[in-house]
Amino acid sequence: MRYRSQSVAYWYFAFALILFGLQLVFGLLSAAKYLGPDPLLNILPFDVTKTIHTNLLIVWVLTGFMGATYWIVSDESRSELYSVKLAYIQLGIWAIMGLTAVIGYLFGYGTGNKLLEQPLPHKLAIVVCMLIFLYNIGMTVRKSGRFTTTEGVLLLGLGSSALLYLPALLHYENYVVSIYYRWWTIHLWVEGVWEMIQGSFLAYLLIRLSGADREVLEKWLYVIVGLVFIAGILGTAHHYYWVGVPHYWLPLGGFFSALEPVALIGMAMYAYFAMRRTGMQHPNSLALHWTIGSAVFTLFGAGLLGLAHTFPDINKWTHGTLITAMHGHAAFYGAYAMIVMAVIVYAMPSMTVGRKDEGSTIGYWAFWLQIGGMFGMTLSFATAGIGQVYLERVLGIGYLDVQLKIQVHFLMLVATASMFAIGVGLFIYDFFRHAPRLVPLDDDEEILPHTAPGSRLANEQTG
Amino acid sequence: MNKRQTRIFAIASTAIASLVFLVLTVDSHRQFPKLTNSDTITDSVVRGQNVWHEFNCINCHTIFGEGAYYAPDLTKITEHRGAPYLTAFMKDPSKFYDEQKHRRVMPKLNMTDGQIADLIAFMDWVSKVDNQGWPPRPILVTGSSIPGTDFSLTKQQQSGEASKESGTLPPGQRPVASGNDPIALGQALFRTAVPTCAACHSTAPGVNLAGPTLANIAATAEKTIASPDYKGKAKTVEEYIRESIMEPSAYLHPGPMYSANGTSFMPTTYKDSLSKEQIDQLVAYLATFK
Repeated sequence: MRYRSQSVAYWYFAFALILFGLQLVFGLLSAAKYLGPDPLLNILPFDVTKTIHTNLLIVWVLTGFMGATYWIVSDESRSELYSVKLAYIQLGIWAIMGLTAVIGYLFGYGTGNKLLEQPLPHKLAIVVCMLIFLYNIGMTVRKSGRFTTTEGVLLLGLGSSALLYLPALLHYENYVVSIYYRWWTIHLWVEGVWEMIQGSFLAYLLIRLSGADREVLEKWLYVIVGLVFIAGILGTAHHYYWVGVPHYWLPLGGFFSALEPVALIGMAMYAYFAMRRTGMQHPNSLALHWTIGSAVFTLFGAGLLGLAHTFPDINKWTHGTLITAMHGHAAFYGAYAMIVMAVIVYAMPSMTVGRKDEGSTIGYWAFWLQIGGMFGMTLSFATAGIGQVYLERVLGIGYLDVQLKIQVHFLMLVATASMFAIGVGLFIYDFFRHAPRLVPLDDDEEILPHTAPGSRLANEQTG
Repeated sequence: MNKRQTRIFAIASTAIASLVFLVLTVDSHRQFPKLTNSDTITDSVVRGQNVWHEFNCINCHTIFGEGAYYAPDLTKITEHRGAPYLTAFMKDPSKFYDEQKHRRVMPKLNMTDGQIADLIAFMDWVSKVDNQGWPPRPILVTGSSIPGTDFSLTKQQQSGEASKESGTLPPGQRPVASGNDPIALGQALFRTAVPTCAACHSTAPGVNLAGPTLANIAATAEKTIASPDYKGKAKTVEEYIRESIMEPSAYLHPGPMYSANGTSFMPTTYKDSLSKEQIDQLVAYLATFK
């Protein structure tokens, strides 16, 4: 940590990880309900636990994005933040918004619109937080006078996320039209502007972890952004299958979403070759695991598993089955959960006191248990989904009878999800067991007696 | 490529894709009224959409295949089942499904009659939207298109042996006791009467076995009664179904595989082997298939 104000990132990360923990509680509850019968049927039914599970995901990932951005922008612009106070006010509003939304869901307050369940006051609070955040970041960059490409892509991603949230505030009397615009927020976030954010985090981490040249990496960042949007914007079409829109969205969806993995392959190759050409220049190899892991898991979860059911001729059979849950879990985890954890792990040694630079044994256990657990969950959803498609959609057996026949996959889901939860628990424990550092490190101050020779300060500028 | 060129690539590709997307959005709006029959979006449909949102239905069910995957897809539900059945179901789902057997059941939501009627109006509007012919074959809530496929393996073997006490109810079927809703009793009877109705009749749309499918039987009955070819005595859907069970040859379903020389191939034994109450139950059950 070179700048005092970077310590705000710690509190964003802390809040994000608490919500991540809570998300898993509700995820495990939802998974257990697949095994049934449900003793909580009339107190805490599936729709409530599932709403909380997905909403916590969105809130914690966004909290992580914000914390990571505050950390990265200081580093990239080589400056203190414009206003630390504003950053804390923003976190306060954000935390109240997030927690009251969850409590509201427990009592049935919500819009009942998938992933956009936040009541209107909460949606407005989200907009206010976004504006404070963008203002604070924008002013920091302006004040410093140093604006890198990585920052530019990051800011554009965050700004567009705020803009694309606006259609979600409107109400439509025609349900089909409301579906049409719902995807402007959801799809263009996760398969568009959030990938810009992921790409720029990746660039930041690779520039610092590897010896790769900033010019080269930032050039590739532009290529990735271009590829993301060529495929991503028109790829929205794959959400317009079978929902009552004109027929031409079918071939468009097939073609452009088949292109979507290209950007993800680009991202994975980018991470791999950056390391391969120039080697590891930084002692934090755990952060490297998370960074490369995110690029590879995104390619698997978002790219490969998305492609698996994106063509209309296949999707007409798989649409609305657990196949979608398979893709959703692996894609979101790889692209967004892992990249946030990569930044956290990268920042941790210098953000907290008394931590080794290269990561801890607990940190590695957390990484591998999560990877293994999520891979197992993905396989559970995949096998359940394939069974469901064949029995329910092809053979024409009733939904409820099919769910009975695929119970064994739900057992596997609960088992692997538990393994994943242990990994997340270890990650959270590892984060909180060291106190936050409140004053910046000097260049010659060492984080801890380090074992790797030639290690350098955690966020030393190489670019 | 140098950095400037890659930047131009990023900006240009984003701009072109956005432009195409916006043009298609305008064109989609031009087509929405026809595709979604927007002139049929009545106040009741709009209120029904609010009910759909208020009860957070989408976080268990799917419509248009979107939602959670914990409960059946409802896109075409009003094509399969009539409003009286859907109303009875929503008032108390546990009357028709058993949580111990199916391992999940819909909670009782305490909706008002008005809310239920609006929700059905909304679902009916949904079912008529032109959604590119999805689903490619009907998605059933329960039961099976092909007889026996919803059984467990043991049950399949037992039913092959046709022993009486084996019980031909699939594992998910709600156990029934006298005093239950007649529709639930009729549903069980459909699988247990001897000879079993389900051996020759499917309740899945478009699946004709030795007998014609009973999906849409209510609509078919109305059409038949109104047609000049019909010579039976029935005036209502219920009477028509009852007549078909008691006297299979009173009206012959078109098609050489169902009858010959003016006689239906369906057994004529039900009027003696089933009690009056049992026939009432069967009629109540079959009349739910819109």
